[in-house]
Amino acid sequence: MLAVQTIADGLVLGGLYALAAVGFSLIFGVLGVVNLSHGAIVMMGAYLTWFVWHTTGLDPLLAIPPVMLVLFAFGYVYQRGLIQLAVDRSSLLASMLVTFGVALMLRNLLVLVFSPDFKSITPGYAFNYLRLGEVTIDLVRISALAASLALLGALAWVLNRTRIGRVIRATAQQELAARLCGVNARHVYGMTFGVSAAFAGASGAILGIVLPFAPPDEANWTLNAFVVVVLGGVGSPSGALLGGLVLGLISTATSQLIGPAFPNAMMFLILVLMLMVRPAGLLGNAFAASR
Amino acid sequence: MARIARRTLFRLAGGTALAMPALHTGHAQARKLVFGGSVPLSGGAAETGLNVNNGYATAVKFINEQGGVDIAGTRYQLELKLFDDASDPSRATTLIQRLIDDRVDFFLGSFGSNIVLPTAAITERAEKPMVQAGGGSDQIFTQGYRYVFGMYPRATRQFQSTVAFFKSLTPQPKTFSVIATNDAFSKTFAAGIVKDCTAGGFQLIENYLLPEQISDTSSVLSSVRSKTPDMLLCAMHDQNSLLVARQMIATGTNVGLLFQGLGPQLTSYREALGRYANGIFYPTYWDRRSTWKDPFFGSPTKFAEYYAKNFTRPLAYHCAAGAACIITYVKAMQAARSIDPVKVRDALAATDLETLYGRIKFTPEGDGDAVVMGPSVGQVLKGQGEVVYPAGAKTADLLWPVPDWDKKS
Repeated sequence: MLAVQTIADGLVLGGLYALAAVGFSLIFGVLGVVNLSHGAIVMMGAYLTWFVWHTTGLDPLLAIPPVMLVLFAFGYVYQRGLIQLAVDRSSLLASMLVTFGVALMLRNLLVLVFSPDFKSITPGYAFNYLRLGEVTIDLVRISALAASLALLGALAWVLNRTRIGRVIRATAQQELAARLCGVNARHVYGMTFGVSAAFAGASGAILGIVLPFAPPDEANWTLNAFVVVVLGGVGSPSGALLGGLVLGLISTATSQLIGPAFPNAMMFLILVLMLMVRPAGLLGNAFAASR
Repeated sequence: MARIARRTLFRLAGGTALAMPALHTGHAQARKLVFGGSVPLSGGAAETGLNVNNGYATAVKFINEQGGVDIAGTRYQLELKLFDDASDPSRATTLIQRLIDDRVDFFLGSFGSNIVLPTAAITERAEKPMVQAGGGSDQIFTQGYRYVFGMYPRATRQFQSTVAFFKSLTPQPKTFSVIATNDAFSKTFAAGIVKDCTAGGFQLIENYLLPEQISDTSSVLSSVRSKTPDMLLCAMHDQNSLLVARQMIATGTNVGLLFQGLGPQLTSYREALGRYANGIFYPTYWDRRSTWKDPFFGSPTKFAEYYAKNFTRPLAYHCAAGAACIITYVKAMQAARSIDPVKVRDALAATDLETLYGRIKFTPEGDGDAVVMGPSVGQVLKGQGEVVYPAGAKTADLLWPVPDWDKKS
């Protein structure tokens, strides 16, 4: 029964990892930018949700759409105003350094605005649980998993079934060809960054319901996203989902079978092995085929 | 280009020469006593770091408003030179070295054993005293350092009074499990818990060690549910404590007694858990209602009132501990009749003093005397932190046995 409990815990945790990583994966896949401020945007989502919940009493899950909208706008402006500038004037490496600097600034901005104290979003249902036989699962984590799956599904639908999704994929695969067909690539990059930031914000909202959080946590979420992308593959919601679930299962299984001190060690061991054996991740690069 | 540089240089030199007498006079008139150090105002340890910082600031502000302090017939105003170390030990060591280079003679500690330990090594080498309210790890006090003093007993000695409390309970718990995170303080605190509880006749079921940063404890809690101890004792920092408590509630993981070393002392922790916080035990080193006499503030209550007038941040025991560092320093200087760091160090070592924080007495290794400065046991009751043990210090009646999570009101 402990094995079933471990798998259930791993899947639930994996869903959170997946949602937190999908935006990172998308930017990496489409723009080729390693966004080191991803975790900071996740934290912005958590803080914005906390603020809405704390001041208006609005359910944090209902706060997700407005938070996504705000962060979409932030992401669009951030990419067009800063990242694109760095890429144009220097290189992709410069853009990575820019995102690192922005991460530091955002972290300190959050400290300045919200204080360094940890925050916690605890709606009425935060402490309920579901018991199936001897397996017990935190209800709020199940809700988080469901929300993660729904959001990842929505993103997959947008990327595969809508015009903007087609344009994003086309630009990611062959920027020149897309531009020859009349696509405004810069706008597409901005949109992609905006979508990524919106999803980072949504994951922040969900993480805020599940965990206490503080500005310094941003570094962990960037790192987790990186591991998920290396595991699952770049650029697709399915890669992020697979990477997240695998990471969640590795984490809980290591904790249970080897010891609770070792999930991080195992996570990085797997990361190194994946980079050696299959550097493109389990599902590969979603946009690599035509490059 | 060269001419401009030369001109600028002359201007600067002239300006400095003109300013020298003024600077000299200013130095002679100021009679400042400078306390240097770093504190985490940002980063992972900032929540408690801010409390320690506010404690230092409260005492300095109050004493200066009273006209300063008299040491061997000379009146001094106190000055703080504290910098944000961002919870980063390497940044903290750089800051401390710079302060030593700037000839600061007296140091206050940061928060977190992982920061206090390397910074204490620097002040020790420079033979400058450090009085600190932020590091309890045994490693700080077992290196043979002579210049570092702590406001708490070392971590492995912090649990003795709590074991006596456990033994006083009826019905008495018999078994315990420990959950600790892998950081300098928590690991040694957990070692002390295991040592003292085992010596007290309690049976250890499991000892779980988690990484320093945790985002999920479901596996550990599954194990706790399958091998339920009478007591679950947690050695970790505030945010992790809240995560464990939240996940315990949200998975229906009930134990007879939940004790958390850090966390329940904070208003934010208690507010986050609401009614579920009631009944959780924690160590507490200070209560504003206690009757200690303080040479400057008069009493803990008056300290709390003064603090509330000057800070909006809720008062925590780390604030009182921080203020006590300043008071202990000043009294040691008065006893030494000197501001020579070596003489002040000797006076600190001989300190036996009643303050707003309680009685201050250090062991020969510099940590707080476990009998005199050991913690009381607190319990969250009706959303507030109350002292429930020992009987002489208690502010409320104990809630025992503690009801299961879903029966709490």
